[in-house]
Amino acid sequence: MDVLLDGFAEALRLLLTGDEDTWTITALTLQVSLTASLLALLIGIPFGTAAALVRFPGRRVLLAVANTGMGLPPVVVGLFVTVLLWRSGPLGGLGLLYTPAAMVIAQAAIATPIVIALTAAALQQIDPEFLVQMQALGATRARALLALLDEARLPLLAVGMAAFGAVVSEVGAAQMVGGNLAGETRVLTTAAVLATSRGQFALAIAFGLVLLTLAFAVNLSITLAQQQRAPVR
Amino acid sequence: MSPESSGEPPRLGCRDLRVRVGGRELLAVDTLDVAAGQTLAVLGPNGAGKSTLLRALGMLGRYRRSGTVLLDGVPAEPATMRVAVAGVLQRPILRRGSVAENAAAGLSLRGVGRREALRRSEPWLDALGIAHLAHRDTRTLSGGEAQRTSIARALAVEPRVLLLDEPFAGLDATTRADLLADLRVVLDGLHAATLLVTHDPGEARALAEHTMLLIDGRIRQLGPTASVLDHPVDAPCARLLGFGLLPPELTGRGLLAARPEHCRAAPGEVAAPPDGLAVPGTLRRQVPLGGVTRVDVDLGAPGGSTGSGGQLMCVSSTPPNAPPGTRVTVTVAAAHLRRLDTDRTINSRLSSRIRRVGRARRTWASSGGMGVPQPVRQAGRTRPSPRPPHDLR
Repeated sequence: MDVLLDGFAEALRLLLTGDEDTWTITALTLQVSLTASLLALLIGIPFGTAAALVRFPGRRVLLAVANTGMGLPPVVVGLFVTVLLWRSGPLGGLGLLYTPAAMVIAQAAIATPIVIALTAAALQQIDPEFLVQMQALGATRARALLALLDEARLPLLAVGMAAFGAVVSEVGAAQMVGGNLAGETRVLTTAAVLATSRGQFALAIAFGLVLLTLAFAVNLSITLAQQQRAPVR
Repeated sequence: MSPESSGEPPRLGCRDLRVRVGGRELLAVDTLDVAAGQTLAVLGPNGAGKSTLLRALGMLGRYRRSGTVLLDGVPAEPATMRVAVAGVLQRPILRRGSVAENAAAGLSLRGVGRREALRRSEPWLDALGIAHLAHRDTRTLSGGEAQRTSIARALAVEPRVLLLDEPFAGLDATTRADLLADLRVVLDGLHAATLLVTHDPGEARALAEHTMLLIDGRIRQLGPTASVLDHPVDAPCARLLGFGLLPPELTGRGLLAARPEHCRAAPGEVAAPPDGLAVPGTLRRQVPLGGVTRVDVDLGAPGGSTGSGGQLMCVSSTPPNAPPGTRVTVTVAAAHLRRLDTDRTINSRLSSRIRRVGRARRTWASSGGMGVPQPVRQAGRTRPSPRPPHDLR
C-alpha cells in the first residue's frame, strides 16, 4: 500500500512542481503520438474510404489485411521498422533510427490499419445511395464525398480516438525504434517501464498517471467535439 | 403542349441513350423528350430499368452510359446537368440534423450560404406540410415525414429537371394519398420537367400528363397518360397495366385484353353482349375480397382443339357461386375490349436507323395530341398509320 500511496504523492509532486524531465517526456509523448495519429488518419482515411466505396481488385484483401493489422503487435512493427532503418538496412542512410521520427513512423504503422478498417466500417454504415442522393441535389463528386465524411463524423472521430489510444499506450515499438534515450526519445510508456525495472515504483506510477491524464484529456476533447452536435436520443 | 408548337426545345431529352453493366444492356432509349412544366411517368415491372433511366437522364451515379442527354435541346455536360437537376430517391436519405437543415441541404450543396438556404427552403416546408417539424431531428421522423422532407429538399433548389424515383413506395395509403395531392399542387406551380418512376398507374394518372411503359430497358409504349393506361398496345403492356389477356384462338378476332373488373364469369353458356365477347372456360377458384369477388378462370373449351387459353382473372360483385371445375362463360362488353398487337418486336437499333435517314422523328411529345397511344414501330413499318382507339366498336 505504501508503494502506491508514495507513488500518487510522488506523481502529484512531479506534476505540481513542474519537474522538467517529466514535462519534456510528456511533451515528446504528445508530439510523437499526435503526429503519428495524424499521419495514420491522413493515410488511412483515403484507403478506408476507397475500400468502402470503390470496387477495385484486392479490395477485400486490403480490408482483411487492415482487420488483421488492428491486432498487430507493436513489437513486430518495431522490429520491422528497426530493420528498415538499421544503419545497413534499406533506409539506413536516412539516419532515423533512435530519433522521434522513427517513433512516429512505427506508431503510424501501428495505427494505419486501425484507421483503414474502422473508416471502411464507419462509411459502410451509411446508406449506399447517399452519394447518388447528394449528386441528385447538385453536389459534385468531391462535394458529395465530403458530405459523406461529414455524415460519418461521429464514427470517424471515434476512429481518431482509437488511433491515438493505440499509439499513446504502446511501448514495444517506441522502445525498439526510439531506444528510450533520455531527453531525446524517452516517452511516458518507456520511462514507466524503465522506472519499474529500476524499482522506482513511485516514479513509474507518476508516469502512468500522467499518461492516463494525457489520454483522458485528448479523448475528452475529441469526445466533446463528437458529442457537441450529436442529438440526444 | 408539344415542344414543337411552343417553339422552345424540350427541357429534358435523350438520344440513343444506352446503359450497359457487365456486358448486359440495361437500357436502350432512342428518343425521349419531356417539356418544361410537364410530368412523364415511367411505369414498368421490377428490373425494367426505370431507375436506371432516371439516373442516366440525371447523369447520376457511375453507370457506363453512351448517347446524349439533352438539356433545353443541347447536349448536357455533367456539370450543367448537376445544376439543373434535383432528385428524390425511393428511400429518403436524410442527413443528421433538423428537418429545416435537411430541406436546405440541396441549396447548401449548390453553394448557397446557410442562412440564405434556410430562408429559401422554408416555404417548401410549408408547401409539404412539415413546417411544424422544422426543428425536429430527422431520425425521429416517420417514413412519410422523412419522404416529405426529401421532396421539400429537392423542390427547394427549384430544379429545372425533377427526378422522382418511386417517392411513394413504402408509405401507407393515407399518407400516400395526402402526399400525392400535395405534390400535385406543387408540381403545377413548378416549371420543371419531371420524371416520375412508379409502379402504380394511379400515381401516373394523378401526376403525369404523359406515361411511358418501360419493359426490358426499352420504351414499349408512350403517350398521354389516360390513353396509355387504358389502351395497351401489346401483351406485355397489357399485363403490366393489369389487363387480362384473351388469346386469338378463343376470340376469333385477334389477341384481346380486358380489365378484370370488366370480365364477367357466369356458369353455363352465355351469349355474347352486342359486339362483345363470350369465351368458354373452367372455374378454377373464387376468392371473396370484401365486397368484390375474384374469380380465376382457366380459359378454353374442354378438350377443344385450341388447348389451354391461359388464365383470366375476373373481379365482380356478382360471382358465379359455383364449385371449382364448373364450366363458365366469360363475357366482356365491346367497350371494354382492347385489341393488342401480336407481332411487335422492339428493335431499337433499327428504329434509330430510321431516325437517321430522316423519316418523321416520333417523339411522344409531338404525337401526343391525338389522344392515341403510339406504339414504338418496327422497322419496315416506318409510316405509322394513326390507329383508331382500340375499343373495337
